[in-house]
This record gives sequence, C-alpha cells and structure tokens, in this order.
Amino acid sequence: MSNDQRRTFLRQAGLGLGGAALGGFIPGIGHVSAATAAELVDPLAPKAPQFAARIKSVIWLHQNGAPSTLDLYDHKPDLQRLAGQPVPASFLKGIKTSTQGGVGRLYVSKERTWKQHGDSGAWFSNLLPHLATQADKLTFIKSSTTVGATHDISILKPNTGDLNPGRPSLGAWINYALGSANPDLPSYVVLYNGDREPSAGSVNWSAGFLPAVYQGTAFRPGDSPILYLERPELRNAVQQRTSLDLLKRLNLIGAEQYPHDTELKARLQSYELADRMQSAAPAAVDISKESAATKELYGLNDKTSQSYGEVLLRARRLVERGVRFVQVVSGFPEGVDIDRQSWDAHSELDANHAVMARMVDKPIAGLLHDLKERGLLDSTLVVWTSEFGRTSWGESGTGRDHNPWGYTQWLAGGGLKAGFTYGETDEVGLQVADKDKAVDTYDLHATVLHLMGLDHLKTTFIHNGRSERPTVVYGKVIKEILA
Amino acid sequence: MLQGTRKTWVALALLAAVFGGVRAADTELDMDLMQTIEDTNKSLASNIATQNGPGSTSDAKELQALFGKVEAHFVAKGDAPDAVELSRKSRELSEAIVKSVGAKDFGAASDSATTLSRTCRTCHTFYKKS
Repeated sequence: MSNDQRRTFLRQAGLGLGGAALGGFIPGIGHVSAATAAELVDPLAPKAPQFAARIKSVIWLHQNGAPSTLDLYDHKPDLQRLAGQPVPASFLKGIKTSTQGGVGRLYVSKERTWKQHGDSGAWFSNLLPHLATQADKLTFIKSSTTVGATHDISILKPNTGDLNPGRPSLGAWINYALGSANPDLPSYVVLYNGDREPSAGSVNWSAGFLPAVYQGTAFRPGDSPILYLERPELRNAVQQRTSLDLLKRLNLIGAEQYPHDTELKARLQSYELADRMQSAAPAAVDISKESAATKELYGLNDKTSQSYGEVLLRARRLVERGVRFVQVVSGFPEGVDIDRQSWDAHSELDANHAVMARMVDKPIAGLLHDLKERGLLDSTLVVWTSEFGRTSWGESGTGRDHNPWGYTQWLAGGGLKAGFTYGETDEVGLQVADKDKAVDTYDLHATVLHLMGLDHLKTTFIHNGRSERPTVVYGKVIKEILA
Repeated sequence: MLQGTRKTWVALALLAAVFGGVRAADTELDMDLMQTIEDTNKSLASNIATQNGPGSTSDAKELQALFGKVEAHFVAKGDAPDAVELSRKSRELSEAIVKSVGAKDFGAASDSATTLSRTCRTCHTFYKKS
C-alpha cells in the first residue's frame, strides 16, 4: 500500500472511527441517530437524565488519608471492653492482614467519648460535636468495604472504580452523561485545601477513556483558584476575543483532520470556557461578600477550619450555579505542626484526628445547614467518603492501620432516608458483619448515579470495542437507603 | 485477547482438563483459568450492554463450563463449603443469563451478570488462593 493509499484509508477509517466515537458519546446504548445536533457540536451540551433525577449536584467529600471511623461514628462497646487484648481469631477469619503494621492488640483511645444525637439516635464521638447537630440529615453506610491497603492505589477506587489508573472518575461519567448545566463554568470542579495537591493527583479526576473534555477542573485554594484567569493588563477584551477567534479557526482546521482527537476538542472547549469563565468564575469562588454569619457557620473564624471552610463555601456557591459534581479533597490546615498532614494516623491518632476532625467538623456541619436553609439540600447530594477505614487494633501503640474490610461512609441530601443507618460492622468494628449488606465503591457509584437519574448499567461508552460502564462489571443500587 | 483466540484457548484448556484429568485436589486452582473467567465476564458485560445475543450466549456458556470446573475443584478439595456454594451459584447464574438472553430479556441478563460479578468478589474475599 502506498503512502497516499494508506493516508486515504486511514482518513476514511478515521471518519468511521469518528462515527463510532460519537456513538460512544451517547449515554446508554448510544446510536448516532439518537444524538441531538447540539451534542455533536458541543459535547458538554446538557442532556436529559434517563429517568427522573432526585438530585442535580453532588458534593463529594473525600477525607484524604482515611479517617478512623471507629473514632468518629462506629461506636463499639465490645471494642472498649476488649481493648488491650489480642484480636480474637474469629474476627480475623477471611481477611488477609498484609498491612505494614501487622495485627496488634485491640485499641481504644482514652480520650474518646460517645453520645447519641438527634431523633435518629446516631452515635458520634467527641471529635465531631458540630456534625453531630446534623445527625438527622445523614444516611450512614456502616458496612462499607473496598480493596487494597495502600493510599495511592486504593484512593483510585472510590474515585474511578478501579485500582489502576485509566478509568474515568465518577464525576467524569456524570459530566459525560448529563453535560453542563452552566456553560460559563466547568461542570466538574475539584477543590482542595492546604498547600499541596491531593495525593495521587489528577488521575483521580481524570476522564480516563472518555473524551478529555469530561475531566475535572482543579481549583487551587486561596484567593486565585484558577491560574492565569485574569486578562493581562496590556491586553483588552477585543484583542483577546480576536486572538481566540483566530486560534479557534486554526484549531478547527486541525480538528477536521483529526475528528477523533478528543484532546484537541477538549482544548478548543477549554479556551472558550476560559474566556467565559473570566467573568463567571471569579464571582463563583469569591466568598468575600458572604455574610459574617455565613463565614462563621463554615468555621472561617477558626484557623484550623478556615481553609477547609473556604473550600466548602466555594462548593456551595458552585452548586448554586449549576455545577454538577464538586469533588473536595481534604488537605491540612496552615500553621499546624504535626507529622502526618492527612487523616493517615498510623501513630498519635489522638493528636492527628483532633486536628483533622476540627478542620472538617464545623465546615461540613455548616455546609449541611446552609444547603438546607437555602433549599438546596433536596437537590444536592453530599457524600462523605475515604479510600478505606482504620483497624480495630492499634499500631505503634497510639495509631491504627488501614482497614478495607469494614468502615463507615455517609450521604446526605435528596432522595435519601435521612437519619438512617444501613449495615454494620462486627462487634469490634473490623469487618462488615453481614456480607450481603456490604457496600463496595461500585455500589456507592451506582446509587449516586441513580439519584442523578442515570442507570449505571445503561451509562456506557464504547472503548476498544467493548462497552464500558462506571461500575465496571459490578454495582448495585442500595435501594434500602432511598426515600 | 481476540474473541476467537480466547475461545480456542479456553477450548484447549477444557480439553486438557478433561483428558488430562483435573489435577489432584490439593493443587491450587489454575490462575490462568481465573484470569479467563475475569476476561470472559468483562466480555459478557459488554455483550449484554450492547445487546449482542450470540456473543452474550457464548460468553455465558463459557462461564458456565468454567464455573463447573471451579466447583469441581472445591468439591474435591473438601474443606471449602462456601466456595462450593458460591461457584455453584455462579454456574447457575451463568445458566440463567443464557436463558434471559435467549428470551431477549437483556435487563434480567444484566442483573444476573452483576450478581455473578458480586458473587466472584464475595468468594475472593475468603479465598485469595485455592
């Protein structure tokens, strides 16, 4: 085959592939004929859900480093009674304890106290006094389970559904399936507090094999969350628009030649979005005009909770503006001198969790209260999640190791039974008690998608000739927690 | 792996198992067999999603045979009643998928396939190796 013939063949095959790729653009068993013209021109055009949605937006609160839910929500009198003793063999059945610390003796902090709150009687430890006031808004999943024991690997699973990089994040799937509800803002935003990007980085908000336009957009903490958003002083708006128009024309020539180049399409989209964002985004993230009462509600008056509170206040403002998925990764407060700058308390758990809980407690309680007051909680889903939990046994004498076998997560918002608890761990809080009630990350994803009006089995994309879905080959909607 | 190549491989593996006899019960389950189950299961999910009847049926029948081998292994092993039960359940679910696909009920097939995947995970929670 000559070069010309090969080029012709590849061009024609490319058109075919482009058609197939467009087929993949359509949620469900997509066919090009089912796509609207707007979808084909603009991959972020809003799309209807597959059935009536219960919520419009998700705020995904990833607690980085894996908090000990045994020290926050999972009250275990038997663990207190057995503290200091070796773990009875019956509790270890079926688990492979390859975590670095080995299996120590059962551990309970002497500083921990517990109390039931609200009409639901949900248990909270003394680490979360503010969140406890919101008890009746929460839907606990106390039978959470996952795979793996290393942060950078396990952190991928609640975000993308796999332990290896390359699959789309949940936010990207939602972005792909529903498009944007506000053309002036990214519909999938990532926020974090602290002075460094979240561990494992952007692979956790990647579009994976979906077109790149569906990936999350990370906003930096601080006064300037989007780098280079402001127009340089020496350039006026007309000059900028003219150069953007030229750039767009040139890029469109390239896009015609490479119709399946989703990176180029994403870039085209991002230039235009950036132009519109210059006016929309500063307003969306500017919290200076929020009232003093609101700032206090989010804990901005406390140095430990200030940075996380600012991030959650921004999350609320983004949801108000129609952003579909806000992924918030917990960082660390400024000016606190402690070794582990996340929830990862292999030692000195009391000191670590005192800081981390204080960082998130008031802001999250404030967010829930604020969403409710503004009438947004019915249309928003707040998810409190982490890569895994922590063991019932102690590590280093004062900490806990990683526990993927049984831990607590919670949800709050539209379409859920509020003040409700699903599942439980065993008597010492190590494993899920009833394996039929185990909730894996896939099940959580299926449930979030369901609340967004999407069937996880029918939200599909053709990749390498195979139909892929957000839940890989797993996933079951947790119907028991739905209102 | 291309579907044809995989089918050839699986057929050879099954033949080898039948004529060579399943090795003594004290040997470990062949990890290639488990990998084949995983690959076939992914292919099945895709074929059901795209409502590919012949592909779904072929994959489900393959899984039915493969889970039969897993069940036989654990029966012979004698000390893993949970694994016997779960592999039997997986074989029956594969059979149910064949029937659902035959009736063009891809919704039911999809539900069974998801339960099948969940059953695999449950089994692997307890049995990292044989």
